[in-house]
Amino acid sequence: MNINRRQVLGGATALAGAATLGQPVFAQSNPLQVGFIYVGPVGDFGWSTMHDLGRKRLEEVMGAAVKTTVVESVAANDMERVATQLGRQGHRLIFTTSFSFFQPTMRVAPTLPNVFFESATGTQTAANVSLYNARFYEGRYVQGVIAARKSKSKTIGYIAAFPVPEVIHAINTVMRGAWSVDPAMKIRVIWVNAWFNPGREADAARALIDQGCDVICQHTDSPAPLQLANERGVFGFGQASDMTRFAPKAHLTSSVNSWGDYYVERAKAVIAGTWKPGDVWGGLNSGMFKLAPFTNMTPEEASEAQRIADAISTGRLHPFDGPIVRADGSTVVPAGGRLTDDQIRAQNYFYRGIEVALPS
Amino acid sequence: MRLVLSKRENSSRWMSLLSPLIAVALTIASGAVLFAAMGLDPAKALAIYFLSPISDTWALQELAVKATPLVLISVGLSLCYLSNNWNIGAEGQFVMGAIFGGGIAIATHGVANGPWVFPAMMLAGMIGGAALAMIPAMLKTRLSVNEILTSLMLVYIAELLLDWLVRGPWRDPKGFNFPQSVMFEAEAQTIRLTSDGRINIGTLIALVVVVLAAFLLSRMLKGFEIRLVGEAPRAARFAGFSQSRLTWTVFAISGALAGLAGIIEVGGTMGQLQPTISPGYGFTAIIVAFLGRLNPIGCLIAGVFLAITFIGGENAQIALRLPLDVTRVFQGLLLFFVLACDAFLIYRVRLVRSAPQERSA
Amino acid sequence: MTMFEAILLTIITASTPLLIAAIGQLVVERSGVLNLGMEGMMIMGAACGFAAAILSGNSYIGVLAAIAAGMGMSMIFAVLTLGLAANQVASGLALSIFGLGLSGVIGAPFVGARRDTMARLDLPVLSDLPVIGKALFGQDPFVYASFALVIGVWWFLTRTKPGLILRACGESHASAHALGYPVLKIRLFAILFGGACAGLAGAYLSLVYTPFWSPGMTAGRGWIALAIVVFASWLPWRAMAGAYLFGGITILQLHAQGAGVKIPSQAMAALPYLVTIIALVIIMSRRGGQQSAPASLGVPFVPDR
Repeated sequence: MNINRRQVLGGATALAGAATLGQPVFAQSNPLQVGFIYVGPVGDFGWSTMHDLGRKRLEEVMGAAVKTTVVESVAANDMERVATQLGRQGHRLIFTTSFSFFQPTMRVAPTLPNVFFESATGTQTAANVSLYNARFYEGRYVQGVIAARKSKSKTIGYIAAFPVPEVIHAINTVMRGAWSVDPAMKIRVIWVNAWFNPGREADAARALIDQGCDVICQHTDSPAPLQLANERGVFGFGQASDMTRFAPKAHLTSSVNSWGDYYVERAKAVIAGTWKPGDVWGGLNSGMFKLAPFTNMTPEEASEAQRIADAISTGRLHPFDGPIVRADGSTVVPAGGRLTDDQIRAQNYFYRGIEVALPS
Repeated sequence: MRLVLSKRENSSRWMSLLSPLIAVALTIASGAVLFAAMGLDPAKALAIYFLSPISDTWALQELAVKATPLVLISVGLSLCYLSNNWNIGAEGQFVMGAIFGGGIAIATHGVANGPWVFPAMMLAGMIGGAALAMIPAMLKTRLSVNEILTSLMLVYIAELLLDWLVRGPWRDPKGFNFPQSVMFEAEAQTIRLTSDGRINIGTLIALVVVVLAAFLLSRMLKGFEIRLVGEAPRAARFAGFSQSRLTWTVFAISGALAGLAGIIEVGGTMGQLQPTISPGYGFTAIIVAFLGRLNPIGCLIAGVFLAITFIGGENAQIALRLPLDVTRVFQGLLLFFVLACDAFLIYRVRLVRSAPQERSA
Repeated sequence: MTMFEAILLTIITASTPLLIAAIGQLVVERSGVLNLGMEGMMIMGAACGFAAAILSGNSYIGVLAAIAAGMGMSMIFAVLTLGLAANQVASGLALSIFGLGLSGVIGAPFVGARRDTMARLDLPVLSDLPVIGKALFGQDPFVYASFALVIGVWWFLTRTKPGLILRACGESHASAHALGYPVLKIRLFAILFGGACAGLAGAYLSLVYTPFWSPGMTAGRGWIALAIVVFASWLPWRAMAGAYLFGGITILQLHAQGAGVKIPSQAMAALPYLVTIIALVIIMSRRGGQQSAPASLGVPFVPDR
């Protein structure tokens, strides 16, 4: 039962082309119904809100050719029923926007062979299941560079949600970026055990600032840490959306999720009958996320940040180039090598120089 | 003018079982008014809310899946509440049951085992739930530490324990370090009853539990003891019943039932352990228990009713494009109506036109 | 400001919403009513407070709106449980569901809006005291309100006749009624007071603590406030101790993580819950369980006539 991503991809692509795509849907007479299943409320002002903006973009671009439906705050337990219900109501394309929905999606997909599923993160594809996600770490590298320029105490504070690879490799990448400017940079990390809990995020930001961090990175959804940075006169980065207005004096840049173009592309593919399962991991150059305009930075700092972002975007700079050495001193990849995508996705160790506990 | 309540003299048991149904009928009427006020076609909206969850065999099976944990947990909680033991930590006991049962599924993963695996998981789940429930029971009986606090705090601790396990030692080694356990083997999944839906053996178990609990409460000495301790603790003491032994018993039973619900849910709808495995079943079951008047058959009816409102809310999001919050407001209103109607059935409500004269007694 | 002062300041900020909500709930429970709708009243306070503050441009109007919202919610509860003698636990939980939903509807237009946090109010002289000066007397108005509430409620419950009557209703509504006291009216006032406090605590979240609105932002604080009342054995001063203990451990574990203590974050996050249990166990084993729950807690009262 343990098939890895590669094997499945090869097989599934061939399968899907042959089996599932018989009849293209004609737009005018019969709009394509697209379902969106969110893990949080539409108004979480973070992950789910940004997916919903993508949905609105889809409606805007496609007009009468699509009709969208939202089901919010769905628990993994209920996901199969919600997806089946959407399928029974005629939805042909369903975006399931959380990793916790991934296994339920894999279970429900075979029972709805005429429905195409798009799972935001997962470990394998299937005949009618695609994976998509963005390489948010690319933005984290730029954050690290900026943080190193801005920090006087040489200490970054990082408010982390959960110890999952997505967060762990982001922390590693922030430090990679920071060390490229100043190898003496340090980081303090607080896990708040929530993607969204404004009060606790603010408390964590207070603790980090009290401990001398003067640039705050956040891997949680609410604007609370950034607002607090503003109040306490330190710097911070926005998450998920452009949070400039929450912290006019503290905001440096935000990592802005932008799923709309991808949603349009996939809906068009279904309508045209060319949908194929894929595993998309889009970087800065894909438009899946963007950096908000730099603020509170000198022109030199801003142009350096832009230069780094461009270098990553065009592939001249890769945040996971070797040498990569674990905190325990063992080498993962020597100089000249580079982590594979699967190695990045599964990263569960910190680099040497990052003193933070992880559950083992 | 003011409202005056007086107890109805002939409140038969038949009536008290029927009253939730009458209340539902009344709430549907008021629901129609509400939907019309919201600019929706009331007939269509009501049909989606109340009929779509029971419209065909697939939907009925889903309803059973959703109602099963609520019924199982609420029956156990009823025993606690009847005897004045305020266990509000069923959510944690649910999680603990999933941890204990899931531990067996993970330990036996990858090895061919017999059909004993799932029964063993259920047993372990019951032990897990009961073990967690024993802590508030022990602290209450030994040190008179209030069980509301301990049982509630243990919910968060159990959830964090699961979180740690799934992100740490029990993480699927081939799962790209995502926070999930391995998928349970077929023999470790909750036994399904049909091939075209998700209804599973948990529903049968819940029905058996309802019948057993109803029998216990109405026909057996233990049931009498539970009621007596709750209603007249001093009389119970004179009758020689041990209050603390009863506390242990009802906590153990309700913990075991919540734990059982946990492992049935995990083995049935998730097929693996994830950091979050309950959409608040343990807390919702508290409402179910009281809506069902702490009566096992009442819990069954209330559990199904609440499950209908949850699924109806989901369907309203899909078919009526209502935001989740609006469906929640409606669910809250429904519950208010049901609770209010309930009062009308127990009490005779009269409008009295007179100056207040409370001091008359 | 030293690190110690800074931590103290943060602890007080984190504990204040818990304390305000708990002190309100304490009065409700002392009158013999169990309202599990804290979460719903609190989040309505947060939503309405933020909405009113944005619309009026004035934080104090926001605070008043939050208090009104909390009281409005508690009025629904009062109608059900006092007027119709409906079950208190179920009514409270239904109130929570209703409040979570309605706050989302009310707050929806304000998602993504921002306000500055309310200004601190330095008390002259006192705020210059060493160590505790800034933490206790250089705070926002809510913190002073929480101090005032604790003192006021303690004074009311132990030193006034209405307070004594309220407690009598909680211990034995039948006796209180027999003595000629209007049990239902007293309970109504207690419930409204609890709703006002919950609304105020909600306003603290959306106007001071994290000044924006987002659905579900109370994140279970209503439940913690409920636990604090139990921890306090229904005594106001101990509610203060309980809130600061819980808030204190929460903040200290965040600091420990930031300082690089190598303990899994889940174990750290479990600490406030664990410590609260242990502290209560120690208190109870020392004092042999002196104060227990009000005897009529959760029992509906229907006057016979």
